[in-house]
Amino acid sequence: MNVTELIERRRQSWNELDQLCGVMSSRTRKGIGSRQLARFASLYRAACADLALAEAWQLPPDTVRYLHNLVGRAHNQLYKSRRLDPATWYRVLFYKVPRVIFCDPYVILGFFVFFGIFLLSAYVAYDPERSPEFAENVCSAETLEGCERSHSNSTDNELSEMNILGTAGYQMHNTSIGMQCYTGGLLGFPGLLITIFNGAYIGAIFGYMARPDVAADTHFFAFVTAHGPFELTAIALSAGAGLRLGGAWIDTKGLARDASLFKTSRATLPVVGTIIILFGMAAVIEGCISPTAIPYIYKALIAGMSTVLLILYFVVLGFIRWRQGPEAE
Amino acid sequence: MGTNGASRQLDTVIDVVTPENIAFEYQTAGPTRRALAYFLDYIFRAVIFISVGMFLLFTSMLPGVAVLGISFYLLMWFTLEWFYGGLFEALWNGQTPGKWILGLRVLTTSGRPINGLQAIARNIFRFVDLMPLVPRIAFAALLGVSLAEPGGWIILIILFSPFPTCACCLITMMSNKRYRRMGDLVCDTMVISEAQNWLWGLPKIDDPKVKVWASELPPLAVGRQLANALSRYVGRRKSFPPQRRAEIAAPLGQALIRQLGLIENTDCDLLLCALYYRTFIEAK
Repeated sequence: MNVTELIERRRQSWNELDQLCGVMSSRTRKGIGSRQLARFASLYRAACADLALAEAWQLPPDTVRYLHNLVGRAHNQLYKSRRLDPATWYRVLFYKVPRVIFCDPYVILGFFVFFGIFLLSAYVAYDPERSPEFAENVCSAETLEGCERSHSNSTDNELSEMNILGTAGYQMHNTSIGMQCYTGGLLGFPGLLITIFNGAYIGAIFGYMARPDVAADTHFFAFVTAHGPFELTAIALSAGAGLRLGGAWIDTKGLARDASLFKTSRATLPVVGTIIILFGMAAVIEGCISPTAIPYIYKALIAGMSTVLLILYFVVLGFIRWRQGPEAE
Repeated sequence: MGTNGASRQLDTVIDVVTPENIAFEYQTAGPTRRALAYFLDYIFRAVIFISVGMFLLFTSMLPGVAVLGISFYLLMWFTLEWFYGGLFEALWNGQTPGKWILGLRVLTTSGRPINGLQAIARNIFRFVDLMPLVPRIAFAALLGVSLAEPGGWIILIILFSPFPTCACCLITMMSNKRYRRMGDLVCDTMVISEAQNWLWGLPKIDDPKVKVWASELPPLAVGRQLANALSRYVGRRKSFPPQRRAEIAAPLGQALIRQLGLIENTDCDLLLCALYYRTFIEAK
């Protein structure tokens, strides 16, 4: 048998496999009959055998290239991607993430960097005699005026659909900042820059609004108290996770750099899920509770409960999971 | 199976070994095709934004719908901005609509399918690949927009997001063999091209002299390299004029003439066609 006849004999099977690849890619496994699946597997094995024997048969290069492509496409249909598995989310959220975060030096560094810059910025912005234009330089005069105007009246809004709008807006804006802090950390400097900028920005606003000559201070702090713990913690956590990612370039622990990055991203990405949840909870509180007429004592209580929850999650649960080790997952 | 290491062509193919112990080749996708796929996905997202926005605009007359609609729109914007690619690649076996159109797919570097975490992570890190971002204010001078006017800022904010230069992505892609961007490096993935190609079969040779020569040539063991060379030559010779055929066939043809002890002015083009006929078409 010559090569021409061989190709013509096998062409029909190859065409059939080609068509089945198209069917498999357009439907889910459940939408494909068992016979069709079995036929697909059989044709795939035959095509693999043809490719393995291509050299012995001296198939032309174009035919070999065709077989490579066909086997590759069939392989991708047979071995499909593992989808998101919600069953693992509980283990990740309550086992893996607390263990990863607890005692992580980069997370601690991230907290120090963010809150350090925040407090420093607030201190400098608070005293107008020390540095009168600091707050305006960091935040712009229009931003500060807008902040004063929006908090000049008491928070006496009734709960309405505007709160839902606020929640959505805060979720979108704040979570994006957190994601930028995290992903920017991969290159080190950009993540650090975003963290420092946000720390200085928020701190400057806090410091400016705390000035005795600013009339809206009481309303401002009544607004920010309830959601502050979740939101600020989420930003600091984003920064820490980003720094850990950037540290993987240098502190490879004996691995190649790309392997070190891959290992670190697998460890830190679940933390991003926690960060999104924290931002989500902060957004709900910021949209639905902070602007309302609830007495300040209740807002402070919510802030206190948030802080306790955070301590329980990061410190207590984190310590327990850290002692248990990865085997507990 | 496949070419040996010594004669391996410098190319953008990578070898993968399947669980069935078969090695085959993937063609890695370069920056141009990937940029096109990203652009197509960008268009799809823009279409979704515009369609949903128009729908919400029409339904905003209903009481309470306007605010809820804007809230939904903002959440949708955030989700599509950060998770569009990740969700599609997790649910569509490594493809987004743009990648599907261009025949691209995301796999792990070992040729295995990706999981949901890899799909989402590599798209989240796209933010890094788009860096550095050119701030909006740079466009003000180009457009002659005065930021002193209230409308100036509004125009910039509405029309221009920070412009992604993608320098980080291009530099990273050029620094490794598989054109992996930063998100691929972090998640141990790569993008391959599985665009369908066609089986054209063997080229036909109509010249009756070829059959005669094939039967009269001395015996010759045709190895893999020679078979490849013959196949490539015969596959392309139809597009060459006779003088060009003679020129291209000469180096190999002269070597075969010496090896087979043929007369010096033997037609090299016919000789190669005859050898090809005997190797691939004649019954073995």
